[in-house]
Formats: sequence, structure tokens, C-alpha cells
Amino acid sequence: MKSMIELKNLHKVYATGTHALKGIDLEVNEGEFCILLGLSGSGKSTLLRCLNRLIEPTSGDIIIDGMDVVAAKGKKLRHIRRKIAMIFQQFNLIKNLSSLTNVLTGKLGYSSLVHSLTFSQHKDDVKTALENLRRVGLKEFAEKKTRNLSGGQQQRVAIARALMQNPKVILADEPVASLDPATADSVMRYLGELNKSDKMTVICSLHFLSLARKYGTRVVALKDGKIVFDGTPKEIDEKKFKEIYGEDAEEVEIR
Amino acid sequence: MKKENKFKLSLQAILTDLLFWIYIFGCVSFLINHWFEKPIPSSFVVIFGVAVGLISFILGLSVARKVFLPTIRTAKKWYKSFWGWSVFLILLITFVVGWNLVEVDLYKLFTKFQNAGGIMSGIFNPNMDILIICLTALAETIYLALLATVFAIPLAFILSFFAARNLMPRTFLGNTVYIIVRTIATVFRSIEAIVWAIIFSVWVGIGPFAGMLALMIHSIASLTKLYSEQIENIDPGPVEAIKATGASTLQIWIFGVVPQIISPYLAFTIYRWDINVRMATIVGFVGGGGIGLLLLQQQQLLRWQNVGIIIWLIAAVVWIMDMVSAKVREKLQEM
Ligand SMILES: Nc1ncnc2c1ncn2[C@@H]1O[C@H](COP(=O)(O)OP(=O)(O)OP(=O)(O)O)[C@@H](O)[C@H]1O
Ligand SMILES: [Mg+2]
Repeated sequence: MKSMIELKNLHKVYATGTHALKGIDLEVNEGEFCILLGLSGSGKSTLLRCLNRLIEPTSGDIIIDGMDVVAAKGKKLRHIRRKIAMIFQQFNLIKNLSSLTNVLTGKLGYSSLVHSLTFSQHKDDVKTALENLRRVGLKEFAEKKTRNLSGGQQQRVAIARALMQNPKVILADEPVASLDPATADSVMRYLGELNKSDKMTVICSLHFLSLARKYGTRVVALKDGKIVFDGTPKEIDEKKFKEIYGEDAEEVEIR
Repeated sequence: MKKENKFKLSLQAILTDLLFWIYIFGCVSFLINHWFEKPIPSSFVVIFGVAVGLISFILGLSVARKVFLPTIRTAKKWYKSFWGWSVFLILLITFVVGWNLVEVDLYKLFTKFQNAGGIMSGIFNPNMDILIICLTALAETIYLALLATVFAIPLAFILSFFAARNLMPRTFLGNTVYIIVRTIATVFRSIEAIVWAIIFSVWVGIGPFAGMLALMIHSIASLTKLYSEQIENIDPGPVEAIKATGASTLQIWIFGVVPQIISPYLAFTIYRWDINVRMATIVGFVGGGGIGLLLLQQQQLLRWQNVGIIIWLIAAVVWIMDMVSAKVREKLQEM
């Protein structure tokens, strides 16, 4: 199996002195759906943001699809980024623009400035964007401002935007943490589908074990910036759970 | 508390106390000179000020001790409220000095009303014959305000991106650009439009063009500040998301930042035009042309009926502008 993401001895020390990642070694293969678990503050977001250099790692290596992410600069870095889509907890759409325009911004990494300013004039871009909106079941919402969409719908627009990048990797930072359980499951289902039918490699941080078991092919758990568990979702029993979340934790099921 | 921190605080406290008492004695010497015509040498003021300031600080009775070093135990008994009395003293003496400096004279206010009779009757009997001339001057004022605003918008728009802390990278170049743009904007804004008008009326000659340039410079500086503060308040989430798609910096600004700021920008700009119309009148007084210049001329000729019509016109324009800009801004809020 082909290795898609490779992290070697990755460290991140914030300017405040917080040592958020303490030597992460991780290899993720193509097509895996890798769930990141860990308490709040364990470094999940930091790790995900290092992968596309929204945060500068302090030291270590990141290789994604054979490309050296840490060494990349300028245009090179942007070309790497467009192959790595990101989904956020707060959706991060531009609220006063339409769903369609938001989806089109997924194409920015492939477009020149002039081309991107005239997006709506390019039939093929618009067609792809509408097709992606249809995939997430929102075709009739294309002209609606995303401000007026529900949380679940906004996250699906964000997924359509990610699809626009035609990515090899999807990074999702707690994509369902601000959604109700039923909506959360439907959003996860879309991510699961992209993973299965489009062979996209997914790394997704979650707080709910039930969703991790349902969608993950692999679980990596962080604690204080270190990997404390790496295995299949089935392997997480009560003992492992307490190792990840601390002695006092009880598993609460949502669903 | 850290040691150097405490040292710094003590230093600030001592300096405050010294200035506090030098000011009080300075005021006292002014009043003595004002009432009894007995000049007091400034060395006396300084010596007394320093002495009282130091003594009260050392005894732990001073105001600055109370403000800067509240943890330090202050003396007990009646004199413990010495700081309170000194605050009372400084307020009282400031008020008395102010009253004398401003030459407040209630007698004049209540007995000399007939002096204003000319202008009052002018206001209520405006000279309608010069209406056309006045309207021409008024149009000059409104259009100069409009042009000043329109020219200021694109420059301020571009500058505001470089004056926004969250957009400028924390590299040497980023910091330098940020600091330079910020500083220039702040300095230019702190120079009143009326001062710019004086400068430009010498530069390009008295007239509406000078007024336009004055308002434009001032508008650029203040819009840059308002705009950039708006950028600093945007939601960083969408910007991060656009960055993650592999967009270039310019694309990030255009797609991640601009849509978030466009409606507050419009609101600020209309507000600015409103302000500029008011200021255009004032600027006219010092050589900026338009209705202000006309008003100044008629006032100096003591043509009170002409002054009357001008005052009515200015009031009407300000009132209409106020209403229109409030309405438009309200609409923008809903967008
Ligand atoms: N911009 C920052 N500056 C300084 N410290 C930060 C910054 N972002 C995160 N940290 C710190 O780094 C550590 C890891 O934070 P991170 O956000 O990666 O955790 P997380 O696992 O995503 O938590 P959560 O589940 O709450 O999102 C925390 O101690 C946090 O306080
Ligand atoms: Mg997080």
C-alpha cells in the first residue's frame, strides 16, 4: 500500500512556550480514514494545521504524497496545499457570499488571479461547482447566502468546497463538533463516502468514540502532544479509553 | 510583584507626585499674578512643588502612592486622607484658573444681548436675492466634499490592508510596512483638516481645490484607520480556509477579507462624506472656497441678512446629509 502522509519527529513549540507536539512519528497510507482522538489541548488541531502549514512546525519532517511539505515555499507550497483540503469545526465559509461562490473558492489554488475574479464566467468551473453541490445534496441552495443555511448544510458546502480542490487528502478538524448527533452522522457519512469511492485519505479529529468506530479505519490518540495509541477502532476497550482520556473518564455514547 | 516592575512603578509614582504639586504651585502663582500683579519666579514654583511632592511621597500620603502602589501600607489617622484633599485641591484650583483664563463673564452674557440683534434679525429676515449665488457656493462645497471622499476611498482601501496587524506577516518587512503606514496615517489624522486647508490654500491658491485636497488628505488618513480596524476585527476562519485551498496572498485578501469588510466599508465611507460636507464649510473659512468662504466674506462685511440665508442653507444641507447617511447605513446593516 502506498504511503500518503509521513511525519517524522514532528515538534511544535508555540511562541508562548507551549510545547504542543512532542515528536510525532506517523505514517498514514493512501485510502485510510484516520481518526484523531485526544483530550482538549492534546494537540489535535496543531497537528492537523501543521500538515498544510497553516502553522509552521518547529522541527521534523512532513512528507505528503512524496512532497516535502516543510521545505516548500511560495508557489510550491500553494501547489501542495491545493491537494490537501481542510474542513473546520466552524465551517469557515464566507457568510455573505452564495454557496456557489464559496464552493468556487476551492478552485483558487488552480486559478490565476484574473481567472478567479471571473469565476462565474467560466462555464466548466461553475459546472463542477454545481456538480459538487449536488453531491452533498445542496444543488438547489447554490444561490443562497451561506449565512442563511443550517450548520449541517454549511458543513456540506464546506465539503463541496473541499471537493473542488480535487484533493488527495482531507484534513477535518472536529467537523461535527458544533452539530447535533443526527446531522453529525450525515456529515460524517459524506466524508466516509469520499474516502471510499474517491479514495481520498482522511484525517479527522473527533470527540465521539461512536463516530470513530463507525467511520474510522484507524484511530490515533494524542495526549500532551504525544501519540499514546495507534490501532484499529475495535482495539479501544475500556482500559485503552482510560489511557487516552484519563482515569476518571467514562465513555458517553451519543446516538 | 517583580523587582524591576516595582522600581518602575515607584519611579512613575514619584514623577507623578512631583508634576502634581508643581502644577498646583504653578496655578497658585498664576492666580497671585493675575489678582495681585505680583509675579512669582518659576524657580519658587519648582522648589515648592518638588518639596511638597517629595515629602508627601516619602510620608506615604500622596495621590500617586494611592494610584500606583496601593499595596504599600499608608499612614493611619486624620492625615491619611491627605491624598483625597490634594485631589480636591487640584480640581478646585484647575476650575478657578480655567474660569479666569477663559474670561467667563456672566454679566456680559445676560446684559449685552442687543449686540447680537443684527445677526438675529438677519437670520429671521434672510436675503433671498442672493439665493442663486449661495446655492452655487453650496454646490461647490458639496461637490468638493464628494470628490475628496471619492478620491480618498481607493487609496485608503489599499493602505488599510497594509495597516492591518492580522494581515501583515510578523517578519521584518511586514512589521516595517505596518508601522510606517500606521504612523503616517496617525500623524496625518491628528493634523486637523483646517490646518491642511491653510497649507493647501497657500500651495494651490484659495478656492475649492485647496479645500478638496485638505479634506482628501484627512479622509485618507482617517478612513485608513477605520478600514484597517475593520479588517482586524474580521473572522479569521474564512481567511484560514481560503489560505488552505492554496490561494495566493492577493486571492486570500480578495476572497477571504474583502467580502467580510465591504458593507462596513460602505457605511464608514458614507459617514465620512457626511463629515466631509460639514468640514467643507469650516475649511472654506480658511481659504477652502465654497459656502464657508462666502459666509466669512459676508460676516466681515456685516451683511447680516446675507449671513442669515447662508446659515439656513448650511443647516438644511447638514440636516439632509445626516438623514440620508443614517438611512443608507441602516440599510447596509440589514445587508
Ligand atoms: N496559537 C497558539 N498559541 C499558543 N498556544 C497555542 C496556540 N494554539 C494552541 N495552543 C496550545 O497548544 C496546545 C494544543 O492545542 P490544540 O488546539 O492543538 O489542542 P486540541 O487537541 O485541538 O484541543 P481541542 O480539542 O480543544 O480543539 C494547547 O495547550 C493550547 O493551549
Ligand atoms: Mg482543536
